Amino acid sequence: MRRALLLVALLVLGSAHAAEPKKVVRDIIPVAETGFDPAATSDLYSAAIMQAVFERLYTYDYLARPAKVVPMLAESMPVITDNGRTYTIPIRRGVHFSADPVFGGKPRELTAEDFVYSLKRVMDPTIRSPWSFLLDGKLVGLDEEAAAAKQSGRFDYDRKIAGIEAVDRYTLRLRLKEPDYNLPYVLAHESTSAVAREVIAKYAESDGRAMSNPVGTGPYVLAEWIRSSKIVLEANPGFRDMKWNWTAQEPGDEKIVAQMQGKKLPVVDRVEVYVMEEDQARWLAFRNGEVDLMNMEGPLAPNAIEGGKLRPELAAKGVQLQRIVDPEINFIYWNMQDPDLGGFTKEKIALRRALAMSYDVDEDIRVIRNGQAVAATTPIPPGVVGHFPDWKPTTKYDPVGANALLDRFGYKRGADGWRSFLNGKPLIVNYTSRPDSLGRQQEELVKKSYEAIGVRMDSRKEKFPEQLKLEKQCKLLSRTNAWIADYPDADNFMQLWYSPNIQQSNGGCVTMPEYDALYRKSIRLPPGPERQALYRDMIRLLEVYAPMRLTISRYRNQLVQPRVLGYKKHPILASTWQYLDVGADTR
Amino acid sequence: MLAYIIRRIWQMLPTLLGVVLLVFLLFNWVGGDPAYVLAGKISNPDQIDNIRRQLGVDQPYYIQLGIFLKQIVTADFGSSWSTNEKVSHILATRLGPSMTVLLPLLFLETIVAIALALAVAYVRGSLTDRMVMIICTVGLSVSILVYIIVFQYVFAYKFGWFPVQGWGNDVWENLWKYSALPILILLVVSIAPNLRLYRTFVLDEINQDYVRTARAKGVGENRIMWVHVLRNASIPMITHVMAALPGLLIGAFLVERFFSIPGIGREVILAVERSDFPVIKALTVYVAIATMVVNLLADLMYKAVDPRVQLK
Repeated sequence: MRRALLLVALLVLGSAHAAEPKKVVRDIIPVAETGFDPAATSDLYSAAIMQAVFERLYTYDYLARPAKVVPMLAESMPVITDNGRTYTIPIRRGVHFSADPVFGGKPRELTAEDFVYSLKRVMDPTIRSPWSFLLDGKLVGLDEEAAAAKQSGRFDYDRKIAGIEAVDRYTLRLRLKEPDYNLPYVLAHESTSAVAREVIAKYAESDGRAMSNPVGTGPYVLAEWIRSSKIVLEANPGFRDMKWNWTAQEPGDEKIVAQMQGKKLPVVDRVEVYVMEEDQARWLAFRNGEVDLMNMEGPLAPNAIEGGKLRPELAAKGVQLQRIVDPEINFIYWNMQDPDLGGFTKEKIALRRALAMSYDVDEDIRVIRNGQAVAATTPIPPGVVGHFPDWKPTTKYDPVGANALLDRFGYKRGADGWRSFLNGKPLIVNYTSRPDSLGRQQEELVKKSYEAIGVRMDSRKEKFPEQLKLEKQCKLLSRTNAWIADYPDADNFMQLWYSPNIQQSNGGCVTMPEYDALYRKSIRLPPGPERQALYRDMIRLLEVYAPMRLTISRYRNQLVQPRVLGYKKHPILASTWQYLDVGADTR
Repeated sequence: MLAYIIRRIWQMLPTLLGVVLLVFLLFNWVGGDPAYVLAGKISNPDQIDNIRRQLGVDQPYYIQLGIFLKQIVTADFGSSWSTNEKVSHILATRLGPSMTVLLPLLFLETIVAIALALAVAYVRGSLTDRMVMIICTVGLSVSILVYIIVFQYVFAYKFGWFPVQGWGNDVWENLWKYSALPILILLVVSIAPNLRLYRTFVLDEINQDYVRTARAKGVGENRIMWVHVLRNASIPMITHVMAALPGLLIGAFLVERFFSIPGIGREVILAVERSDFPVIKALTVYVAIATMVVNLLADLMYKAVDPRVQLK
């Protein structure tokens, strides 16, 4: 009888255990994903999924700010020799790709050769990777291989190149043409994630891109995908034994560490990601408890945030607000190749400086951004290595000063109040914006600013692809540009005005030999006082010659339901679900 | 009849060619060059050229147009430039969600609007008739966006009768759980214009001699309305309903966006935002073909409903 009772008790306990609800976290992306091939996909929201499915050699410390690179699939940080030209990276042993039919039912271990293949893919012209600039011109022999592939139409992955070499099964060696202190950031970027060659061979389309069958070594696998609607990730049962083990870095981290320390990763069994394009749908879904995480952007923010703090009714419910300044800058540039606005004569510099001084950044923050932004004071935003927290910009909103400057340099006002160029031609500045509500608001503010100093603005509406096209041909005179960090180092921002990057990322087509010389010096230096001194001079050059006017950096407001544990918004990582836990669903 | 159908199908070809030329011209004129977006944040002219070559947009226009025509003949529009997903797969997977919302809607809005139109036409000129028309006019004046925002807020969020958004893999769950509120909203939006229109069709018939004759012969009012009047009023109603059918192919993008329904309407918007020409091309051509086929079907139905109609 007792045995029978014991058996019944065990059965009940067993079934209770089997019925234990899965831990589920629900998140939102506001724009539909495009696909999950690390080398081929460039949108932020697909990156969020890929960062959970694939892994890189390096990643970022979950808690450290500014973001700090730490090993992921690498056993340790690289051993750098040959005056910064050779990186030797030991690969973690016993890491396996998630199960897939292509592996024939056998565990497939990650090796150094997988990284040789994955890094080469980024430069394969057939795949047309939007991230090829991360490796372009850096590794010995890789550009030549890519050029040969362009000619032949096929990238020879089997040909050995000196720049990327598997020394043995677990050691990768990278040889650089020039020292590059940003290489660890590149190796932490999702485009350099490890993919298995046989998986790509099986699932890739004719263009070599495998967008629909992500197979990585990460903590999650793609379990369900309703395109443009819902993506479900489930814990990878073969994920290596890994514990939550981050150290508190700043106030508030202790609570996260206490909640999470020592838990086996991933703690959350299932991640459901919903594509919700409309503000109202996102907000109501969050209020309804249908989702656990939500980013509150511009127009929505006042619903949840008041004076930079969570509204009391939400705080009373235990909702958490994580607020960081995005590692980005917004700026208005003027084409330096334009015969009227470009150039370095005193009157041209005065004109651009006056235009810069006419722009009221506070109004931009208040009216366009609903208070969800801070003034960008330098081209290096907060949270990025090299940021100057105490920088005092010399360009300030000063319409009186701007008018005086224009008067002084001979930009005369006519009887109608509008100014003209020195040659008598009407002073009209062409400004291009996108045909959406943000573009319209930006255009109105620029127009209002210019009009306050007697400068007429001629507006032009172009869709984003057309803007890029004109910009890369140096045919766009002025627009508001935004740049968000690809990696959290000042170099990613300071390169925006380096003249060899004209037709690439230097949208204002700026050529300043003095700036170029300083930039070339800066890329040979590691982060530190010597590099900061160069950046200081470069920023002053940008202020003096005014090829652009810095405007704002946006806040990223992340709302988190009370049941989510261990959340800290990361400035670079697009997703951090693997580091979270969730309590009971109280909906 | 067969000769008429063959002639109509033959006439579709120049119309379709016109649509193809228009789409091609519009895309190349205002569509933007997708290579610059696909190339990523930092790209050089070589990379842009490489992408343009791979997409085929570096070819002379006549070759691009030839490829477009070949795609129509083979019904193979290739893959999306943004996602690499086969266009045929996009259409196959996105039409289902749109139909889950729009087919029940079309059925309901037609039945309800006809029934209400007959009812108010029956009491034409009365206070009820006038009140219904005033409500319809007010309803027509309100933007669909307002209906969506208010209904989603009130019925999904405040009352919790429906989920705010979502979609699953189960057809019945999608129909009863996720589509119910979008259908309700679209029904409310469509009833007002349809009711007014159908009422006019019915009133046009009610004053005809045959109705007076039927009444004089002692035919019941219900039979007059539901059999005699409805049959004669059905020709313009069929035209109206059939004209709405090709619209099913382009979905209902606003409700699809607000309720996160992975339908074809959202896909159209995404394709336009991404300058994804293969998707835009396929959808435009299929909608044009559907419109022409539906028009032909409508003409054939006129004949079935009213034998007096002669198809020439």
